[in-house]
Amino acid sequence: MIWKNLVLGLSFLLGMLLAGCGGGSAKQENAPTTFIFARGADAQKLDPADVDDGESVNSMAQLFEGLVGFVPGTLEVEPRLAESYAISPDGMVYTFRIRDGVRFHDGTPLDAEAARFSFDRQMDPDHPAHFPDASFQYWKNLYGDVERVEVADKMTLELHLSRPNAALLSALASFPVWLVSPASLEKHGEQMPFHPIGTGPYKFVEWRPNEAVLMERNPDYWGEPKAGFERLVMRSIPLNTSRLSELMAGKVHGLDGVQPSELSDLEKDPRFVIHQAPGMNVGYLAFSMLSERVQDVAFRRAVAMAIDRASLVRLALDGSGSVASYPAPAGFLGIPDDEGPVQYDPEGARKLVEEHPEWKGVPVTLATFGQPRMYFPDPPRVASLIRNDLEAVGLTVEIINREFKSHLHATRRGDFDMALLGWMADTPDTDNFLSTFFHSRAAVMGSATNISFYKNEEMDHLIDAALANPDPEKRAALYGNALQVWARDLPLVPLVQGNQITVLDKRIGGYLLSPVGNHFFGPVYWVSESD
Amino acid sequence: MTSKVSGNSLHGKSGQARLFLIESRRFLIIFLVASLGLFAAINAMPEDPVSLRVKNPDPERIQEIRDSLGLNDPAPIRYLRYVGSFVTLDWGNSLISGRSVREEIARFLPATIELSVLGIGFGTMLGVMLVLVAHATGWPWLLQPVRGLAALGLTVPIFWIGLLLVLFISVHLGWLPVGGRYDFAYGAPSGTGFLLLDSLLAGDFQAMGIALQHLVLPVLTLGLYPAAVVAGTLEARLSEGYIQRLITALQSRGFSPVRIWGKHVLRLVSGPVVTVIGTQSGALLGGAVLTETVYSWPGMGRFLVDGVLNRDLFVIQNGLLLIVVLALVVVTLSDVVANRLDRRLTSKEDSA
Repeated sequence: MIWKNLVLGLSFLLGMLLAGCGGGSAKQENAPTTFIFARGADAQKLDPADVDDGESVNSMAQLFEGLVGFVPGTLEVEPRLAESYAISPDGMVYTFRIRDGVRFHDGTPLDAEAARFSFDRQMDPDHPAHFPDASFQYWKNLYGDVERVEVADKMTLELHLSRPNAALLSALASFPVWLVSPASLEKHGEQMPFHPIGTGPYKFVEWRPNEAVLMERNPDYWGEPKAGFERLVMRSIPLNTSRLSELMAGKVHGLDGVQPSELSDLEKDPRFVIHQAPGMNVGYLAFSMLSERVQDVAFRRAVAMAIDRASLVRLALDGSGSVASYPAPAGFLGIPDDEGPVQYDPEGARKLVEEHPEWKGVPVTLATFGQPRMYFPDPPRVASLIRNDLEAVGLTVEIINREFKSHLHATRRGDFDMALLGWMADTPDTDNFLSTFFHSRAAVMGSATNISFYKNEEMDHLIDAALANPDPEKRAALYGNALQVWARDLPLVPLVQGNQITVLDKRIGGYLLSPVGNHFFGPVYWVSESD
Repeated sequence: MTSKVSGNSLHGKSGQARLFLIESRRFLIIFLVASLGLFAAINAMPEDPVSLRVKNPDPERIQEIRDSLGLNDPAPIRYLRYVGSFVTLDWGNSLISGRSVREEIARFLPATIELSVLGIGFGTMLGVMLVLVAHATGWPWLLQPVRGLAALGLTVPIFWIGLLLVLFISVHLGWLPVGGRYDFAYGAPSGTGFLLLDSLLAGDFQAMGIALQHLVLPVLTLGLYPAAVVAGTLEARLSEGYIQRLITALQSRGFSPVRIWGKHVLRLVSGPVVTVIGTQSGALLGGAVLTETVYSWPGMGRFLVDGVLNRDLFVIQNGLLLIVVLALVVVTLSDVVANRLDRRLTSKEDSA
């Protein structure tokens, strides 16, 4: 009996399967109404104040906006939900005139009081939306100088600072302070991070974790252009090969997270357009000041001179990147566009090694990790190329390869001789790189981003002074001095800057690669038959 | 995993009660060992999951969060709380997504069950049909694909077969979707999380068709291994002497091959096949990680692997323990069923 039923049931299902193959074919004819984009991972939360992963930000970039924003495709700040803004001459008060007639997706009108919500909930530990397990990690780092937020009148919001902060404006354009509807707290309580309500060109429909974030056009969007599609779907497809297959089969209209080595096939395919530009990141090799082995600055210099960074770009990034001459990308305030103080000089390195017989013998360790990042698409390959370079000048190197989180654990404790890691900036400001890498404040055991545990008062002072100085020229000069201190002590060697890569169906128009590294799909539309 | 309990003691009411007692004691011991082992493994992990969650951790805030999660309490208290909260289904929130682990599992488990049930069902049918038809017809060339299948299913990586199927059938021919559970150009039905059931309940046959199309390749891929195992088990069982004798006896009475193979032999071998199905299902409950990855299937496998990679404490300790419990339940059930089938047979043969 069991068998009979089982067989019967299964054959019914099989029949349905075959029927399914024939009917309801999901072929999209021209001008699809849904834009489908594929990425390698799902968002973690859709709460601007409590995320740091790119996929969460990429989803939220369609739903939320800030008081100010970046001019599309650039790092220039322009008014967004604020109609205009003013900074007091002493740099202590930022005044925002809120745009009239903007409503959140839930209908809540935007005014100064509503805007204040997104700031208060991060700075005030007693705020009902200051959830107990949320990290609010950016508040202290990027906005810590904001002392209080005041509603001057219905449509005017004022930020009062405890001291001037030259990086604040671009930080205000960044995601942690994108404005969230205050009504979402009343409606969803602690579930708020899963029911995002913003003002953006698309509004949230449904989140199917590990599958897709579904959005639809916000017909009442205040700005221009309005959303180009009725629906927007951001699918998560972890395997690179599968993601590419979806694109090839025409099931998705675009993707990111392509390995540089996979680009050559795509370049030949006339159906797709590749958008590629330098990302806001630096991949580096750090020396731990807590390790006896790398205490000697001459040793660090020898290592820096021995590494052929141009061939790293060629062999480990397949050309999709560039050499990083400084600890922050060229073009950032105070960062020159030249070859930098560290040159590839294997002869000089070999001479240094020969002068120091004590460096030989015990191998020096180089810690690396498995998972690809934008700055290192293949970190173990970077490590083995560096080992070759170092062994060519007479050093012996032992590579330690860990899974990413274990690697992070070790590096945040300074538990290595040399380690590979990188930084993807949160805001387009030099401070975001230099204070992350070199400020003693960031050298806390267990949670360091200054993984070299480099502590130098002169460096701290230069970084602090530059941040407090509103004059860009003086700031640039201060960063110039900080770079000199770095070049003298060499706690880390910048290696490469990885490109960000987006591949789109060529019939998708309106897309601009953002230097900040996020996707803004609001203006994206379907180009009617071009061929 | 077949219980080594002698057949006779299982007859009658007291035998059943004893079997139940033995199974539940085994269940309890395995649960305690598994929970202790998991807890010890998580404790031995040097990394702090709370600070590793964020890119730029603030040490003070990290301690506040650890305190609020009770992570700074002594180990025995944490273990007791762990077991207590697991049993009361209070599984906490994911450190990464902040979502309730119980709700996450309620979302991913149906996707996995949908795929596994169909995969194992398909695989079993394929394995049984091939072997029985080959023997019944006496066409030896039919046994070739069986052996080929066994070799393919057991040796070639599922990953590779899956990718090959995608490249050829989905990308090259464009007949079937590449991956995922559903085509989001259409609105998907919601409810139980079992897309087939939900679309059936909603009477939405277009949605059902789409969901079925997405199932074809993953089910094919997933079914290969169970098919190979079932075919192998069947072959082994069929070569046993008493079955051969029975077949000869039945043939000499002039029974038709259909009756011999489709009824008598099938019934004889159903016990071990059920056991195989049981162990295979138990193994698949944790999610078929590779199949789920190739087909972007949002199931338990990916959820748990991500949980481990992210050191997502509550996902690891509750998710993995749940899988252990579920696998135990399935295997125990299949043991009981297999036992009953075998018992029915022995008693019949005895009385015959």
